Amino acid sequence: MNYIITTEQLTKKYKNFISVNKVSLHIRKGSIYGFLGPNGAGKSTTMKILLGLTVPTKGSFTINGKQFPDDRLKILKEIGSFIESPSFYSNLTGRENLEIIRRILGLKKNSVEDALELVGLTEFGDRLAKKYSLGMKQRLGLAGALLGRPPILILDEPTNGLDPSGIHEIRNLIKSLPALYDCTILISSHMLSEIELIADDIGILNHGRILFEGTLDELRQNALQSGYAAENLEEVFLSMVEKDNTARKQRTKL
Amino acid sequence: MMTFVIELRKEKRTGVIALLLGVGILGAAYAFINFIVRKETLLNIPLAPMDVLLTQLYGMIMIMNMFAIIVAACMIYNIEFKGNALKKMYMLPINITSMYFSKFLIITVMFILAVALQNVALVQIGMTYLPQGAFELVTLITFAGYSFITSMPVLSFMLLVSSCFENMWFPLGIGVAGFLSGMALATSDIRLMLIHPFVVMLKPAVAMSAQPDMAVIIVSAMEIVLFLGAGLWMSKKLHYE
Repeated sequence: MNYIITTEQLTKKYKNFISVNKVSLHIRKGSIYGFLGPNGAGKSTTMKILLGLTVPTKGSFTINGKQFPDDRLKILKEIGSFIESPSFYSNLTGRENLEIIRRILGLKKNSVEDALELVGLTEFGDRLAKKYSLGMKQRLGLAGALLGRPPILILDEPTNGLDPSGIHEIRNLIKSLPALYDCTILISSHMLSEIELIADDIGILNHGRILFEGTLDELRQNALQSGYAAENLEEVFLSMVEKDNTARKQRTKL
Repeated sequence: MMTFVIELRKEKRTGVIALLLGVGILGAAYAFINFIVRKETLLNIPLAPMDVLLTQLYGMIMIMNMFAIIVAACMIYNIEFKGNALKKMYMLPINITSMYFSKFLIITVMFILAVALQNVALVQIGMTYLPQGAFELVTLITFAGYSFITSMPVLSFMLLVSSCFENMWFPLGIGVAGFLSGMALATSDIRLMLIHPFVVMLKPAVAMSAQPDMAVIIVSAMEIVLFLGAGLWMSKKLHYE
């Protein structure tokens, strides 16, 4: 299988808390990988590790055959990312913010307009970023990730703060990207209903541990074997998490 | 060079460049007005005319410069923290160390311009108001270099402090505390006090002679290397979490 991102037993431990626990991910090239888990499951930390924002306590990972920290600049040149909340210079306009990123990436001038158009922010490009609404800031963050159409996208809950029509629009945009310019997307969410609509593969995380990794069909089969109604994957996901939480509580009692 | 240009573009609408240019103009105007108004009093002080020109005006100019450095250093990093922009920078293929160094260069270059403006005013005053033949350009240039190098430890220190705190009020408070404690310790003859970067900056202002103190210059150079080195090391080694 042609994997573009693989992680091996990735672990991140803070003083007395394990945020990511021996996570091994396998993300196929050209696929949309849905990273699913409740709040605090360790999704953002895993993504931060992949971007070099956090150093793993144990384990390793490769992105397109490259490794941190030796290939940091090469890796980051290939990844468009959006983590947790939009990041921007509040004293600059949306267009100026993207211009900064464009210069860092060494892209052509028209890539800024292309990114603004992709997220539907063209007409607000000259407004100061601090005056944007939450949804517009979110779109600006996405535009920053999509700038130059990078081969890998790491998006952490990109539809947070958007209204229903915005969620629909961005979801369709994300879904169309692999076909549009051959990219691989790792997208996180705490809602299976959302991931279900766009992802090819799924990784379910709870308390830092991977509970399931595979295709949506495999998840359905898994659900049937466990006695769940396969058409309701949300229920499957919630049951998996609850089962894991119960097991954890029992282990703690013992 | 590319990082420097990018950093310059980030400074748009922050006021960092205007602030340092403004303090240069303000310092020059202060020197002119003060000398014109107090000309007789100043020239009657029992000091050499060049010592009067350089040391008697420098106190106020130095305080203006000090506060401009404190505020500029706070503002230049505040834009990185305000909208989480620094997080984005860590996720882009940019060398964070060279980003830090570019910020250092921007403040330094603008500060040099401010010092140059202030010294142009002193040249004009010296040539116009000092007794015939008393003005010495070399002495003025030497003192300008001395006052510049003694200001740089505060600049390096404040940039380091600003890069460590998301909340701008912390570095601003540290800057004000540094100024107040520096004022209290500046007249002390104990050499150990020179480890305080604000004391170093205040030294030329409390001296009665325009002659540079070699010990102060050496300590300044060491502190610049120390604080700048610490800032560069931290930007390279510490991760954004």
